[in-house]
Formats: sequence, C-alpha cells, structure tokens
Amino acid sequence: MTAPLYIALRFATHRKRALLLSLVGVVFGVGIFICTQAQTQGFAQFFINSTVGSNGALVLRSRFQPRYEGMVVSAKSSGAAAARRNYFEGIHNVSEIMRVSRQFSNVVACSPVLRGTISARAGFETTTAELFGIDPASHLRTTDLAKQIVGGRFDDFRNNTTSVIVGYRLADLLQVRPGDTVQVLSPGGEYWRFNVAAIARSGVGTIDSSRVYAHARVAQRLLKKPYEASMIIYKLRNPDRAPALANHFENLFQHAAQSWQEREEGNLQIFSTLRISAAITVSLIILLAGFGIFNVLTMSVLSKVREIAILRSMGYRRIDISAIFLWQGALIAGVGSLIGCILGALLTWGISHVPIHIRGLLYTNHFLVVWDWRHYFWATVLAIVAVFIASYVPAHRAAQLQPVDTLRGSSL
Amino acid sequence: MKGELSLSCLDIERYLGEEESRVHVLRGVSLDLESGSIHAVVGPSGCGKSTLLYILGLLDEPDAGSVEIGATPISHLRDEELARRRNESIGFIFQFHFLMEDFSAQENVMIPMRRLGQMNETEMRERAAALLEAVDLGDKLRRQSRHLSGGEQQRVAIARALANDPSVILADEPTGNLDTNNSQRAFELLANLVREREKALLLVTHNRFIADACDWVHEMKDGRVIASHPHGERISV
Repeated sequence: MTAPLYIALRFATHRKRALLLSLVGVVFGVGIFICTQAQTQGFAQFFINSTVGSNGALVLRSRFQPRYEGMVVSAKSSGAAAARRNYFEGIHNVSEIMRVSRQFSNVVACSPVLRGTISARAGFETTTAELFGIDPASHLRTTDLAKQIVGGRFDDFRNNTTSVIVGYRLADLLQVRPGDTVQVLSPGGEYWRFNVAAIARSGVGTIDSSRVYAHARVAQRLLKKPYEASMIIYKLRNPDRAPALANHFENLFQHAAQSWQEREEGNLQIFSTLRISAAITVSLIILLAGFGIFNVLTMSVLSKVREIAILRSMGYRRIDISAIFLWQGALIAGVGSLIGCILGALLTWGISHVPIHIRGLLYTNHFLVVWDWRHYFWATVLAIVAVFIASYVPAHRAAQLQPVDTLRGSSL
Repeated sequence: MKGELSLSCLDIERYLGEEESRVHVLRGVSLDLESGSIHAVVGPSGCGKSTLLYILGLLDEPDAGSVEIGATPISHLRDEELARRRNESIGFIFQFHFLMEDFSAQENVMIPMRRLGQMNETEMRERAAALLEAVDLGDKLRRQSRHLSGGEQQRVAIARALANDPSVILADEPTGNLDTNNSQRAFELLANLVREREKALLLVTHNRFIADACDWVHEMKDGRVIASHPHGERISV
C-alpha cells in the first residue's frame, strides 16, 4: 500500500459521518441512474422488438421512376427543389426481388405482403381494419407472428385459406374469439365471411387495434389488386444496419425502401427524449453528490492543514499530498459505484416486478426493463468523473499549501 | 567540531512579507553542522531563528545564499527532489510535537518510513518499536498520540525524527512546551541519541540550561548570528 493511500484511508475513517453522506450520494446517484436507464430503454426496446417483429426491419414498397437528376435543368424562375418521385403502386416482380434480396448476408428472411384497407364486421360492431395478405410459411420465418398468437392456433390459419388472424385489440372491439366468424367488406361492396383462426398480440397498440391477417391469394382477390404484393418485409441479422441496406435496395430495385428506424422515427424520438431527460435528471443527483464530496474534502483539507505541514516537513511531496485527497475521492467513487451498481440491479429487478396496466402505444402488465452492462459502465464513469472533478480542487489546494506558513504560525 | 560536515549554509538572506510590510529576517547567516555535534541557536523572539531552521530544513527557500547537505548544494533542486532529501536526510522536531492525533505512537513513527518506501510493513513496525523503546515508550506503541502526555508526545516526535536515520535533526524549541523535568528528560534523550548515532543536531531554544549543554551556541539578533560559542562559555539567553 502506498503512503498516500494509507494516510487517505486513515483520514477517511476519521471523518466517518461526512464520508458516509458523500457515499450515500454516489450510491443513490449510480443506482437510480442504472434503474431509470433500464426502464426507459426497456420500454423503447420492447417497442422496437415488437414493431420489428411484426412489420420487419426493412420494408420494400412501390416502384418509382428514375429521375435522372443530373440531366434535369431547373427553370430560372423556380427556386423550389426538383420534382418529386413518381411511384407505381405494387410490386410485380416479387419472386425475382426476393431471390436477389436473399443473396445479401444481412437478410435472414423476407416475405411478400399485400396490404389494403377494409371494413370488418362482427355482430353489431363494424370498424375499419388493415388487411395483411401473407404467405404463412415465409411470413412465419420473417416475423414473430407465431409467438404473438394469444388465442387459437396458427396451424388452423395455415390450413384454412378462408380463415384470418385478428389483432388482439381489434378482436376485443369486434368481440370475436377463435372459431367465431368475421365479415370483411371488399372494395366491390361484397361481404366476405372468414373464420377467426387465431388472435395475435404484438404489444404495439396501432398494430393490435387494426390488423387482420389473411392468405395472400384470398386477399388479392378480395382487394381486387392486379399485383401479388404491395410490399416485401425483411428480417435482418443486424437491424441496426437497416438504413444502409434500405438505401442500397432503393438503388438496386428502384423501389421505395424504408428502414424500421425511419418508419418509427417519431416514436423513437419520444423514447430517446425520455431517456435523455431521465439521464439528465439523475446526473443532477450525481452532481449534487459531487458538490457534497467537494465540501467534505475542502473541509477535510482545512482541518488537516497542520497534518499537511507535518507530512511536508517529513518529505512528502506535493503530489503525495494531492494523492491523499484524490485517493479519498477515489475511495468514495469506487465504493459508491460498486454499492450503487448493486442497488441499481436490485432496483431494476424490483421495478420489473411492479404491476402496471398499459394499453396504449404498448401492451404490458408490468414495468419493462433492459439488463445492459453499459448502464452500469456509464453510471460508474459518470460517478468517477464527477468525484474526480470534486476532489481535484481540494486536492490541488492541499498540495499548494506552504508548510512554513502553518509551522511559522505555531512557533516563531 | 567532531566529524564530517552534515549541513551547512552560507550567507543566507531572507525577506518575509510584501512591499511595505517586508521584513529582512535573515542577513547573511552562515552555519556549519558536523555529524555528532549539537548546536543551539538562541536569541529573542522574531530574530529569525525559526526561519533559519526552515531554510536549513529545506521547507523554505532563501532569497540569497546557499545550503548544502553533505557536500551537495541543494539550492537549485526542484520541490520533489527537496522533499526526497528532506525525507532521507533531515528529521524535524517541533515545539508542539505535531503528531497525527488519530495515529498510534508507532504509526506516527512509521510515517516518514512509508514515504521512504525501503522497508516492508513488518520491518517498519519493528524499527518504529525499537525507536520508541529507545525513548522509553516501548509499552505505549499502540496508544493513540492524543492519549499521551505532553512529554510522551514529544518523545514520540523525537523517535519520528530518527525514523529514516537522517544525518541532521532540526528541532524548533523542542522543550518549549514541557515542564522543567520533562524538558530535561527530552533533551537528554535527544542528545544521547544524537551522539550515539553520530547525527548533527541544531535546535532553537530559549532554555539557557539546554543551550549550555550543547557543543555550540549561536546567538542571533536582528537576523544575524552575532556570536558563536563553543561548549562551556556562559551566555545570556
């Protein structure tokens, strides 16, 4: 053990109450930081997993006409941007696009979807819904639909082309259960009768309250579409790279492509803002702890002026004196962060078991948390930086004290 | 003069304070301390005794003149190097003992050794115990310094000054805070240890009997050494 560390330990244990208060500040700062980050990211992650699991990490939509921008000469009077893209509804060469897409290493699976708006009726209830015409086999590989089934069986849907899977909240609205019948109004004005094979719950309110899954060929006839798919959804190995792949697909296929990040930009911004807001709020606790440590160490320096002079007279260097007080800060930061991390983990575990009833943007019956080592890392880094800054000034001040001034004050 | 030159200073000048309040504290002071010798500096309050001691102890820098430890000039050295020399070569004893209150007697003696870093924990403890034994405090090793009497505290300070086996011991009125009996005892202890171990001792004192017992007495007045007497010559303090 170095001399400054030994003396720091002795000085620290001498001022137990002040040390304990400083420690409590760091412990709570770190613990609450971890807990709030785990919560805010927990909700965000659940939303991302649910939306990517239902709608894919990347979606390829309508074909667009190449604009040949380099050849366009803008009119002198026009200050506006160049003309917008021309889109052509639907995807006609689905098999070819999917075959080429599968060659990309990031693509795990892809599935065509024919999408349209319908009116669904059951009993006396009628509502507008979104029809997803899917190929059960490929859709199962691409999405989490099988895992989202909360009533009925997916196999019943697969084996029966006149059956549908209804979103959880939509089924609630229409008051239908597996085995019931639901009527769908086609654009031609005819009612088609479907058997409800299963109820699906993605956890995302907008999906669960509007979606009806039907077989692709049946959906094509019902919606009277000339093309077999209005979009292709992709499951990616690394969803974080979806924007780059979407860009590449647009150039390659001349079809509009949208990553999940772009699609959910608004919601993600809300989650991000909440997370930053929580981080700032909790950082203030750590900052306050830092002020506390600054005060404790400043008082410690003032009360140890004589001891500092003695140490200097015995050959302790300025850097040793400074190290004594920095070590005290480091001890507070180290022990505080360690206990804070344990407290953070306990709070996170406790919070994850608190029952709540959310039926809006998300569906959950308890707090959602994420266990991420980075929360612990950043909380510790934040605490160490705050404590170091708080310790540096008193430590520097202690090192600059002239021992002669103290000694001369005692005997001249 | 008994042995080799341990510490010397030549033509030391020192000013304290700023501008109008500036005081010329030391005016061309020169001293030589040899190993095994005891020197006393006497003089009225404010004559510059303590300032001289701090300059010789490398805690303060002279405005002019030079200080040498052994034959090595140290005036040009950086603060870190001065601290190292102080740790290795100089032991301090102050009037108010200046012990770490929360440390035991043994731990106080170990403080300079920890900085030196040449011994392990056991060796440091053993050496501290031996030094405290030498000052008759062998039975109070683990007692906190605040629970020791004034005389005992000053003896711990003497043991601490000897911790790193320095060549020079500088004492600023080491008995000034003790009664007559304790003063006599502390000085005799210090003098014996210094002579046994061939150290050079410079002490600032107002105590005539202690000054008389030293090998050399240097009288200071108004920042100057006005007279230096060898042992036996009567002086008025």
